[in-house]
Amino acid sequence: MSEIAIATEKLTRTFGALTAVDNVDLRVQAGQFFGFLGPNGAGKSTTIRMLTGLLAPTSGRMALLGLDFQTHLVEVKRQIGVVPEGMGLFERLTGIEYLRFVGRMYGLDRPTTEKRAEELLEFMQLAGREKTLIADYSHGMQKKLALAAAVIHGPRILFLDEPFEGVDALAAGALKALLGRMTERGVTIFLTSHVLEIVERLCSHVAIIHKGRLVAQGSLEELRAGVPGDEGEKKTLEQIFLSIVGQSGAEQARLEELTWLT
Amino acid sequence: MADVIQLPSVFEQLKLVSGLRWRMLKNSLRRKNSRWDLIGMIWAGAVSALLVAGLCIAFYAGTYAFLSTDRAGWMSALFWGIFLWWQVFPIFVAGFGANFEFETLLRFPLSQPAFYLLSLGYGLVDFAAASSLCWIVSMLLGALAARPGIVPLLFLVSVVFVFLNVTFERLVGSWLEKILAKRKSRELFLGLFILSMVSLNFLNPALQHWGGGATPKIVRLWPHLWWLPASLAGNAVAGAAEANPRGALQGVAGLLVWLTVMSGLLWQRYAAQYAGEEVSESAAPGVATRKKQKRQVSAGHGPSFVPGPVLAVALKEFRYLTRNGMAFVTLLIPPIMVMFFTMQFGRGSIMKEHAIKPEMFFPAMLAYLMLILLAPAYNSFAFEGKGIQTYFMAPVNFRDVLLGKNLFLASLVIFELAVSFSLLIWRIGWPSPSMFVATMAAGTFAITGQFAIANWSSLSFPKKMEIGKMKGQRNSGMAVWTAFGVQIVLGGICAVILLVGKWTGNLWVPAMAFAGLTAAALGGYFASLDAMTHLAEEKKELLIETLCR
Repeated sequence: MSEIAIATEKLTRTFGALTAVDNVDLRVQAGQFFGFLGPNGAGKSTTIRMLTGLLAPTSGRMALLGLDFQTHLVEVKRQIGVVPEGMGLFERLTGIEYLRFVGRMYGLDRPTTEKRAEELLEFMQLAGREKTLIADYSHGMQKKLALAAAVIHGPRILFLDEPFEGVDALAAGALKALLGRMTERGVTIFLTSHVLEIVERLCSHVAIIHKGRLVAQGSLEELRAGVPGDEGEKKTLEQIFLSIVGQSGAEQARLEELTWLT
Repeated sequence: MADVIQLPSVFEQLKLVSGLRWRMLKNSLRRKNSRWDLIGMIWAGAVSALLVAGLCIAFYAGTYAFLSTDRAGWMSALFWGIFLWWQVFPIFVAGFGANFEFETLLRFPLSQPAFYLLSLGYGLVDFAAASSLCWIVSMLLGALAARPGIVPLLFLVSVVFVFLNVTFERLVGSWLEKILAKRKSRELFLGLFILSMVSLNFLNPALQHWGGGATPKIVRLWPHLWWLPASLAGNAVAGAAEANPRGALQGVAGLLVWLTVMSGLLWQRYAAQYAGEEVSESAAPGVATRKKQKRQVSAGHGPSFVPGPVLAVALKEFRYLTRNGMAFVTLLIPPIMVMFFTMQFGRGSIMKEHAIKPEMFFPAMLAYLMLILLAPAYNSFAFEGKGIQTYFMAPVNFRDVLLGKNLFLASLVIFELAVSFSLLIWRIGWPSPSMFVATMAAGTFAITGQFAIANWSSLSFPKKMEIGKMKGQRNSGMAVWTAFGVQIVLGGICAVILLVGKWTGNLWVPAMAFAGLTAAALGGYFASLDAMTHLAEEKKELLIETLCR
């Protein structure tokens, strides 16, 4: 039985009258490439923010790598890497300065920080731009730097919010290979993306959140099996997703209303 | 085929754009922390209205006096006042940051003439233009009271002068916008602006030194400026007042030539913008070729007894300071002010009979230094932006973050104190050893005491600021009042203890008292750090929401 990397129990977060995340029970095994999906405003980012310590839950419990989040906050943070929504970069530092800063904040010694920063910049194709202010980076370059910062300390769980958005195909390919190698080594990757093809290609397990509630969780095969349809037909993740969130056919109906445009 | 049947008229477009700006202003006040902004706006509006109304009276009186006492030649001075205000004020405002980007309207189906006219209409509703129009109306009323006969010509001159000013201002603004679109030039501009404002302090000593010689030179220069717009407008009015139709005609014709040339240049600028000229930040830099040689890197070495995260935060603060032109300029202010005060009131100065002794100057200098340098500590996360998330994601207690920030600021105060104190010694000499020790002890107490409260204020009342902008770049109202209150209380305690020392004639007594207070403040400070870690967790959402906005 492999280790549970992420476990939540009745995780709930409200904002005034709005319940953004409602009694979510997640189970992610260590070493899984886990896709966390949902429509806009479903509660994906709120869940990630809670799991990474950026937002306190209203109620419920979270444990990462068996450590309770509330009581072992610092230890948990040491084990995880995050690319948050908005990337969380200090824009007035240069790329190399930011990586050095993050390395030291995660407790790496100076030579290790230096070596890893250089290697990551090289891998992310940012070498030669390391002395440019982050404010002057393009969106894709910022994303690559945020990814480099998220892995510099060798995390055991990696949270990625839309990691490939704005990243060119060349770098995206290298990144996917890197993430694949990390999962082989036992790192758990928790990823959200609106590009379902990417999730389908990379992730072995998926959870779908809709209106704050977890509506599906399991391996892709398990999810396929749970969706009605022709026997033997291999459904795509998009079909599964639309079927589960109850939106299949809804677009067509809405499209019919735009007679002046269509 | 698009369904647009008819494009809206220029007037309709102007109305739409005005409505858009009004809604943007209204919506910006809907945010939680905007109550103080609204109060600030009302206050600024009232002060500005008073300024404009006061000057309206001055322009009315000036026109009346010049025209009724056969000194119509002086009308040029009034036009020069308006011209300079109209052209210079918007340049300063432009550096203050996020204004409505007029060019964004280009994505709508506007014709180039409509774009041009909208821009001119826009130029007429900013503060400099509106106040100038008020003053021109005051001049017309003054002329009506003094010499009704020249009102038609003054009206004509005023209309041309207004169009010339708005055209010229838009042209300068357009060029300036092109320059300020680059982050580096914007920050440089802002730094120069602050420096020039600080330098104004030296105007009085400079005038007292060289003022006598400068006035005749300016008077001699005056007739040579006849060809410039303000002089031409004044000369046209003077011509009419002195029954010199040729002079009046020359003035009006000169103004029209200026207007034609400026309009042509502005049309050209707008044609470039209309065609899609890119003025903003340079596009994303391409991937540079990799330098193969091993780089000599500096990882920011620091004392090994300082924990890594604390040092990392302190180093990050240093980097941010070096990239914040305005904060950097702020560091120049204390030494400049020491120079200014010692020039004005020191030994050998023009006011040497009121010369200040080092005994008084040193504590006053330290108080001033703290006032200037510690104000940012009350909103110390202002420039973090989205980076604030890094502090919460990293496996550190917030006490390390605050320690790093406080450590850096304390080092900065020590550095500034050393520079200013050296200048003080050079200009007016040493204070007595007892006053030196007492003041240093008072400073240590005041700084330590402030850090504890400033950390609380930073976590409780955060306000986002952006480097390179001045508009809206101030601490939240509560942070301002907290800083104000703390500085008054601590300053008061220090002043009373120092005065008691002076009164008893033994300044070693305050030194000892401050040593005791410093020990207590240090204890309180370190005890507060753990409480601040808990507070940071409580205020996490507020901080992230405010700073990542």
